[in-house]
Amino acid sequence: MGSNRNISLPAGIMYKGGPAFLTYMLHRVGGATLFIFFTVYVLSLLGLGSMRALMNNWLFLTFILIFGLFHVINGLRISILDLWPKLMLHYRSIIQVEWIVYAAVAGCALFLLFTRTFGG
Amino acid sequence: MTPRTLPIKKRGFSFEVFMWAFTRFTVFAMYGLILAGIFGALIVSSKTGAGFGDILYWAFFPTLAENPLGQIGMTVLAKLMVISLTLVACGHGVHGVLEIWDDYVTNEGARRWARNIVITYAVAASIIAVYVILSA
Repeated sequence: MGSNRNISLPAGIMYKGGPAFLTYMLHRVGGATLFIFFTVYVLSLLGLGSMRALMNNWLFLTFILIFGLFHVINGLRISILDLWPKLMLHYRSIIQVEWIVYAAVAGCALFLLFTRTFGG
Repeated sequence: MTPRTLPIKKRGFSFEVFMWAFTRFTVFAMYGLILAGIFGALIVSSKTGAGFGDILYWAFFPTLAENPLGQIGMTVLAKLMVISLTLVACGHGVHGVLEIWDDYVTNEGARRWARNIVITYAVAASIIAVYVILSA
């Protein structure tokens, strides 16, 4: 059954859903990013030189780390809230904790990537 | 205000409930496999003297790196873990991509075509990944 909402893209982007909506959108972007990563991974396994080069490209890896790690950490939050629904009362605080964890993990990952790439 | 939740017994067994459970199952399987992979690589690294990073790099890119383990038992175990992670991630990803697609595309025909294409792609990619990892 098709949706009849007919919400335009600009209206969707301007929707003021707060932090929960932001995590929802970023989770989708992260999922799509990881699907692209999976495709590149399988093609590089097949031995395609261009895909192997892409797997070693720092810009591609930065993109994957930023959005992929968010998907992983946000997925963990969603799973925790699914298992313990009573925590939904504190979802704003939990999202704040999630951002702190994400900043720490992504910061470390990007630091290691940039050190390896530009650190001589 | 208390959160509104429906007990699992009262949710029935529709396609949506099945896919919700499938997505959650694959998520937990992935977290478990990632943790098992990290701890396994640490244990093997300490036993064999091979580098932790080298083990993980070889496990995921067996065609690009030399096998640092040597022992057949550990090699098979590592390959099985990577194959499991790849298959579970693929299953999880297929559902995610289709959910996003269904949200933005309302045409029934387009939805059906996308479903067929994405599932075919996932099966083909999984077969390729399993074959390459096993044969490397």
